[in-house]
Amino acid sequence: MILAVLFANSVGNVLIERFNGVPAEERLHWRSFLVKLGAENLKGVKNEELLVACHKSVYIVYTMLGDVSIFLVGKDEYDELALAETMFIITAAVKDVCGKPPTERVFLDKYGRICLCLDEIVWNGLLENTDKDRIKRLIRMSFLDSLFYQIFNYLLLLLFDQTRINFL
Amino acid sequence: MAESSGTTLMDLISADPTPIPAQSTSSSASSTAVQPSPASASAASHLHHPMSTKTTLGEKKSKRATLMQIQNDTISVAKAALNPVKANIMPQRQRQKKKPVSYSQLARSIHELAATLDQKSSQKQLVNHVFPKLAVYNSVDPSLAPSLLMLNQQCEDRNVLRYVYYYLARILSDTGMTPGGGIPTPNWDALADIDAGGGVTRADVVPRIVNQLTTEASNSEFEFHARRLQALKALTYSPSGNSELLSKLYEIVFGILEKVGDVPHKRKKGVFGTKGGDKDSIMRSNLQYAAMSALRRLPLDPGNPLFLHRAAQGVSFADPVAVRHSLEILSELATRDPYTVAMTLEKLASPVGALQDILHMNDVLARVSLARLCHSISRARALDERPDIRSQFNSILYQLLLDPSERVCYEAILCILGKYDNTERHEMDERAAGWYRLTREILKLPEAPSLSSKDKAHKTKRPQPLIKLVMRRLESSFRSFSRPVLHAAARVVQEMGKSRAAAFAMGLQDIDETVHVNGFSDALDDAETNESSHPEGIRRTSSISGPGRNDTIASLLASLMEVVRTTVACECVYVRAMVIKALIWMQSPDESLDELKSIIASELSDPSWPAALVNDVLLTLHARFKATPDMAVILLEIARIFATKVPGKIDADVLQLLWKTCLVGAGPDGKHTALEAVTIVLDLPPPQPGSMAGMTSIDRVSASDPKSALALQKLVQAAVWFLGENANYAASEYAWESATPPGTALMMLDADKMVAAASSRNPTLAGALTRLQRCAFSGSWEVRIVAIQALTTIAIRSGEPFRLQIYEFLYTLAEGGVQSQLSEMHLSNGEDQGASGTGLGVLITPMLKVLDEMYVGQDELIKDIRHHDNANKEWKDEELKKLYENHERLLDFVSMFCFIPRAKYLPLGPISAKLIDGYRTKHNITVSTGATDPAVVATGISDLIYESTQPAPAASNSSGLDDDLVNAWAANLGDDGLLGNNAPAMSRVNEFLAGVGTDAPDVEEENVFSRPSVGYDDMWAKTLLETSELEEEDARSGSSSPDSTGSVESSISSHFGGMNYPSLFSSKPSSHSTAKSGGSKYQSTYEGYGSPIREEPPPPYSYSEPQGRESFENPVAASGSRSYESDDEEPRKSTGTRYGTALYDFTAGGDDELNLTAEEELEIEYEVDGWFYVKKKRPGRDGKMAGLVPVLYVNQS
Repeated sequence: MILAVLFANSVGNVLIERFNGVPAEERLHWRSFLVKLGAENLKGVKNEELLVACHKSVYIVYTMLGDVSIFLVGKDEYDELALAETMFIITAAVKDVCGKPPTERVFLDKYGRICLCLDEIVWNGLLENTDKDRIKRLIRMSFLDSLFYQIFNYLLLLLFDQTRINFL
Repeated sequence: MAESSGTTLMDLISADPTPIPAQSTSSSASSTAVQPSPASASAASHLHHPMSTKTTLGEKKSKRATLMQIQNDTISVAKAALNPVKANIMPQRQRQKKKPVSYSQLARSIHELAATLDQKSSQKQLVNHVFPKLAVYNSVDPSLAPSLLMLNQQCEDRNVLRYVYYYLARILSDTGMTPGGGIPTPNWDALADIDAGGGVTRADVVPRIVNQLTTEASNSEFEFHARRLQALKALTYSPSGNSELLSKLYEIVFGILEKVGDVPHKRKKGVFGTKGGDKDSIMRSNLQYAAMSALRRLPLDPGNPLFLHRAAQGVSFADPVAVRHSLEILSELATRDPYTVAMTLEKLASPVGALQDILHMNDVLARVSLARLCHSISRARALDERPDIRSQFNSILYQLLLDPSERVCYEAILCILGKYDNTERHEMDERAAGWYRLTREILKLPEAPSLSSKDKAHKTKRPQPLIKLVMRRLESSFRSFSRPVLHAAARVVQEMGKSRAAAFAMGLQDIDETVHVNGFSDALDDAETNESSHPEGIRRTSSISGPGRNDTIASLLASLMEVVRTTVACECVYVRAMVIKALIWMQSPDESLDELKSIIASELSDPSWPAALVNDVLLTLHARFKATPDMAVILLEIARIFATKVPGKIDADVLQLLWKTCLVGAGPDGKHTALEAVTIVLDLPPPQPGSMAGMTSIDRVSASDPKSALALQKLVQAAVWFLGENANYAASEYAWESATPPGTALMMLDADKMVAAASSRNPTLAGALTRLQRCAFSGSWEVRIVAIQALTTIAIRSGEPFRLQIYEFLYTLAEGGVQSQLSEMHLSNGEDQGASGTGLGVLITPMLKVLDEMYVGQDELIKDIRHHDNANKEWKDEELKKLYENHERLLDFVSMFCFIPRAKYLPLGPISAKLIDGYRTKHNITVSTGATDPAVVATGISDLIYESTQPAPAASNSSGLDDDLVNAWAANLGDDGLLGNNAPAMSRVNEFLAGVGTDAPDVEEENVFSRPSVGYDDMWAKTLLETSELEEEDARSGSSSPDSTGSVESSISSHFGGMNYPSLFSSKPSSHSTAKSGGSKYQSTYEGYGSPIREEPPPPYSYSEPQGRESFENPVAASGSRSYESDDEEPRKSTGTRYGTALYDFTAGGDDELNLTAEEELEIEYEVDGWFYVKKKRPGRDGKMAGLVPVLYVNQS
């Protein structure tokens, strides 16, 4: 379960948050915990460098993207690595929408679209779509796979098998 | 602040995509200020309500400016609304370049634009301006729903539709009630209720939305299928309580799957011609995806074969996300009913089946679910008769170890290690077996028929021992730079340590880590030449090493641990904490401890460690101890590092609990060492409250700041108290079992002789006494008080010569005569030493008096007995009665100081036993209960503390009393519901061990600038200073939750003006009782393993600890009430409870009190002085379950 997705700006204002399965009274604690974590550790961190924390059996992965810090909280199958995957997808989507690591202003300009992206990525506390193009298509509500997409998929598959072989 | 940065959310959302200079917006904002008051603005629309209730002075100015601006806008919109629509939109757009848009304005625009959909500009306006801006508000008003539904029906533009579905889903989901970031909105339902004239609530619109969406979701036209997908998705957000809706959803999903699911659709890997222009196949795969995703969000339906069938269909779908969801569903089902799932998937698991394809699928989480699924099936006992199926799944699981993604590989390792086994009872078995599998089994890839890449074939030919694969993988992970990878790898090592510990604890035969692992694969190679085909690929072999290979499990582990240790250099504390936990788990009892100790010591010196993390490591020690009780002493040594290095950060309760469990678990031989390890804390130079400068020079104690100095002092008190309570247990020395006749001691009145006799007889107790005596002199006054109390406890519980030794010591102390000699080495800490020189006179006198009385009583008894013997007289009834009364009186006295087993304790010495027994039998007296105990009677408040510990006749347990007293205590607390459950330390430990914990962390820091979606007016306008003020409030309120480490401390210091002494006892149901339940849990855990600790059934008496306030006000009385006999709490619990409901809200004024919300149901335990002690059914917001509330606030039912 991805318990929370939270976007905050550099001074700790919450821009977007999506809690799943967190009781209302605990949300405040989570917010302050996350924002404090960011305030303490995110200074001078490179864009998209992943940081990690945990609280009991809950994992937290967070990062900085432009002026915006992104926090993910998960448990069970969403451990630090799965959250890292999710984070890649979210940052990629945000960069895609904003065209670059966003300043706060750009982020707010694209707020609506980012919300839609997030809606396609994390759905009811579970990771949904992981493919950038597919997310785009879902937001446009058009579903026809492009030829390009298929070729890309195939290449990815080849690459994947190659890594597997190399590892052995 | 808002002005200067120019980043008010309002400015930004109103702006066009091209950024405009911030300054201009804010200046225009302030320049367009108009006069009206908020009231007139809300007249324009009731929707715009100021959200924030918190308003600090500093923010008012900017808030005012923004408010005026909004009013200005709303008014102008209201004016514009009168004009034709087209005219309305365009000017508004131009104006928006400069001015913010309020919620009401956006809402109005939606209504208007929905009405004029036919115009292209309307749609553009919606997509580019209205909808994106509306998203910034954290919820949408249900009254928008009709317009949204209209848009949904009539609009063709997909971009508009996507937003419409998004907002419909938001209205459907409950997030409307709770903030979702951005600008907060009011609770619409509440608002609609207030507004009597036609307010729309969620309840009004939800059925309509659901209806429309379900119709759409059932529409099977091709053109419509994109909308079908979104409609289905939006529907899954609807509240899950509605069973009618649920069944409708199941129906739709199953319907879709029936149509599109059964068409054989093999995932192809060709470049072209897979799904290219074929509309049908696109639609099919999209619908498959949508239906499977929706099914995943619906509640699991384990008994339903159709559900299982539909889920299993998904495994062979083309869409990777659909496959992932299907596997997730299946793996969840498999934990409940592995047999059925395995039978359904039997064909798919074959080497050419769909499950094999998933191994190569590009979706990490799908493979993770596959690992879990394979694990639950391959370990299912229900499938014992089908080893073929099990081995197929096992084979897939082992192949996942080679997965390129760390996430999948780790999941496979954890599965093999047996982490995910739901049957708790077998957890240890599973874990041990997991370690066995990991170290003994071999991975041999099957002939991969599907993917016949050439180099792969020859590379994978060679079978590999799992352990080697895993070790190599982990080592390479530890070289990674990514923190999540490091953290996860350390976690995996920790889990490995757990399984290894379990394997050792179970005494698995084959665990010889010096076996050469390559031997297995060699053996397999040989075997392979003879019997060539083993399609499942996995073979067990217990062969011994072949010559020439030097990879033993031990050496592999050693090289892994080397890498793990270097990871301590990571700059992230969380990674380091995980590494330390891994090291603790991988530490085995016979290895040298030095390295671990030095690592921990140097780590803890780093101030960046948060307290929560330090306590987490402490709890890991706990868990480690439970897995391997032999390690008690080692673990205590580690715990000591915590006590000395970071006294300010650790939770004294948890530490005490650790001491206690270790002491109990150390067994008869280890007790002495365990006690020594605990009390070594006392050998540290005590902090001197007056002279902070001295602190830094003491090399072993790192308590350089006042806070940690205080905490260290608290810790020392805790240690002293612990020593007093447990020395007798550790030394197995009890007065009521002492073989020494009372007279012996009298013969050794020479102090030196006495000490010599004492230490020769029981070095453990003698050592403890020496330490306590030193503390009684050299500690700060708080420590001295506790030391004296501890000494008295020991005096009362021990036989001679210890009692006499202490008596003499106390006497000397009271006289003060020798103080000057004894305290030469003791630096004055600037306190007034008082007339007696120690300031303890007040405390000692009653203790001495009791001991005096006991000795006098004994003397008289001996005299009487002689008298009777000489005269050869029988004892008369009156004489016996007098004797008995004296006995009881002394018992009462003694009980005021500490707990003693009343049935066995003989204040008049062993000689009195016969006479007392005789009198009791004659008069048929059952041994007195604690109810008449003066500790209970004299102080009403003690009732509160021991609320549930109503003593029962001790006679019943007199037989059960034995020398392993604490064992008994430990075991007794298991079902000691209230105390055990209330204890924060215990619950923390239990929670930790159970691996739960999603509750929010506490933020203790003062200076945090988090603001949960703050009102847009306070969101951006606050200064830093104000923020921290706000946060302080938050933090404080937060710390009242039971989890907070800071709470006890802070509440104590507020109660007692920062004085530290009472804190030891203030968390009333804490350490002692918790320790007991800790022990009991421990015991039950080990019941199955023939542990030496589960000997006799515990005598059912319990034992409690004093309460802060009382012990502070009157130390003597407190020490009296501190420990008293309470034989069994059950009777009162069952008979004395009444029920009631809270009449009003009540805010707790102190630690003992309980917050109430009106209408809450309560269980009334008892009444004291106008207060009820009540228990709640569920913990309140602050996490408290029980406490005092005024009688008038409760309506008794």
